[in-house]
Amino acid sequence: MRAAACLGSRYRGDDAVGPLVADRLRAAGATVLECDDEPTRLLDAWAGLDLVVIVDAVSSGAAAGTVHRVDPGDGPLPRDLGLASTHAFSVPDALELGRALGRAPRRVLVIGVEGAAFGMGDPVTAEVEAALDGVAESVLGELREGASDA
Amino acid sequence: MSEPDGSSTREIRTDYLARVEGEGAMLVRIKGDEVEEVQFKIFEPPRFFEALLRGRQFTEAPDITARICGICPIAYIASSCNAMEAVCGVELPEQVRLLRRLVYCGEWIESHVLHTAMLHAPDFLGYDGAVELARDRRDLVELALRLKKAGNTIMDVVGGRAVHPVNLRVGGMYRAPTRAELAALVPELEWARDAAVEFTRWVAGFDFPDFEQDYAFVALRQPGEYAIERGRIVSSTGLDIDVSEYEEHFTETHVERSNALHSTLAGVGNYLVGPLARYALNSAELSPLAREIAAEVGLGAVERNPFRSIVVRAVETVYAADEALRIIAQYVPPEQPFVETVPRAGTGHGCTEAPRGICWHRYEIDDEGTILDAKIVPPTSQNQKTIEEDLVGVVKASLHLSDDELGHRCEQTIRNYDPCISCATHFLRLEVERT
Repeated sequence: MRAAACLGSRYRGDDAVGPLVADRLRAAGATVLECDDEPTRLLDAWAGLDLVVIVDAVSSGAAAGTVHRVDPGDGPLPRDLGLASTHAFSVPDALELGRALGRAPRRVLVIGVEGAAFGMGDPVTAEVEAALDGVAESVLGELREGASDA
Repeated sequence: MSEPDGSSTREIRTDYLARVEGEGAMLVRIKGDEVEEVQFKIFEPPRFFEALLRGRQFTEAPDITARICGICPIAYIASSCNAMEAVCGVELPEQVRLLRRLVYCGEWIESHVLHTAMLHAPDFLGYDGAVELARDRRDLVELALRLKKAGNTIMDVVGGRAVHPVNLRVGGMYRAPTRAELAALVPELEWARDAAVEFTRWVAGFDFPDFEQDYAFVALRQPGEYAIERGRIVSSTGLDIDVSEYEEHFTETHVERSNALHSTLAGVGNYLVGPLARYALNSAELSPLAREIAAEVGLGAVERNPFRSIVVRAVETVYAADEALRIIAQYVPPEQPFVETVPRAGTGHGCTEAPRGICWHRYEIDDEGTILDAKIVPPTSQNQKTIEEDLVGVVKASLHLSDDELGHRCEQTIRNYDPCISCATHFLRLEVERT
């Protein structure tokens, strides 16, 4: 089984990438794992899945709206993307904890959207807004691709 | 890092505070053997949610404020509901109130276990974090995750879901769970209660820095129960007030370096909210089992060592599981899960014990139920000044440590408060300086 894990907060500017993409994925019938501030909740939800596509805002210094696709393989998730949400326990930590406990998905992909404004109450920037439909399509493609293997 | 020689000027900077909910910053400036300055900084567009609430319907406040924190949404839901029910003159039927208390127990279990096991315990054991702990002590991390999930499940069953619960409303619940639904929770909660006892023994065995402060403790108090979802605001300095009198005694002062507001209690100054305060003021109201384990692990009537707050959180986890079981055992589904709440113009106040301490709300609404004004005082901003004072004391007592060790000790000191910085901040950096 394949699923998307969409992280972030609708109230923190471009950190809303995850929830806004989640809306589009749900409308298209995809499986979306809910998680906003607490990635350890993912450990039960994603254990044993074939693929989890993590959708989150990132802050790496690239232009706002830039879409990053990262396939870490068996390695750790990159920390230099600065996965931007304010998570108590970071997503890279949650993946490593899941692996240490045998509760990780078989494969993880990150699709990150470069954000520019993360303050509470900030609106989503136009550059990020413009990227959302394309990101949702990409995620759906990842979830469909090789679905017969799932 | 070299050992300080006592005459040099030292500067430690850390720009990111890990394992704190949200992100935080700290600055410590030391000259020779003198601590020149300590700042625990918070940057956040202040009071965004208060602005967002104005013009909304009074019934929307619980759902909107629940988004302030993904770790303790029930605290915001319950405090805002209490305030709206107060202004509208509504009193919850006993079983409805107990459902609110039950879901709050779930939040305490989840939040306390997340913090103690995954974020704070690694400090005491010399691990970088829970991942490293899990590699060596998988059994303990598995136990903590299962325990945390027991709290999560209460929030799922009673709150509708664990992430931003949807079943709570002004006046009660949208739907009351059946007896069978709650009874199904019992076996896992019984396991959780026993596991929490073991967990308490484990954390009580840590080595704790020898450090105490003479805190002014502030918590809710409700005779006959360990106050969670209701009560009067009391302090170790003799305060005993209705929640509506809060602003007559507590003042928030804007701090120039940060967008946060420092809270002070009139005639006292800074104060402490959270587990140490609740325990100091209300430990006699804990369940017999929680009192028994507290005594067994050496907690006295009052605990003034902030590093031992991890033990008090563990005891409160025992209590929350015990209390959840008590509520479930006596549960009779209410005939109606909520009281119809008709808006009327006025001001209402609500205050509940978030896992990190009292979370106080005030709302003014009109006859149509439109919110005219809102004020929210989260626990972390109330503790902020006290966190700084702890840092001063800890740094003074730890000048012999290397810069790395001192930086770590300072982070550990901040984590004593389980600071939910997202309640009060977003991006924030950590700096420790010795100059």
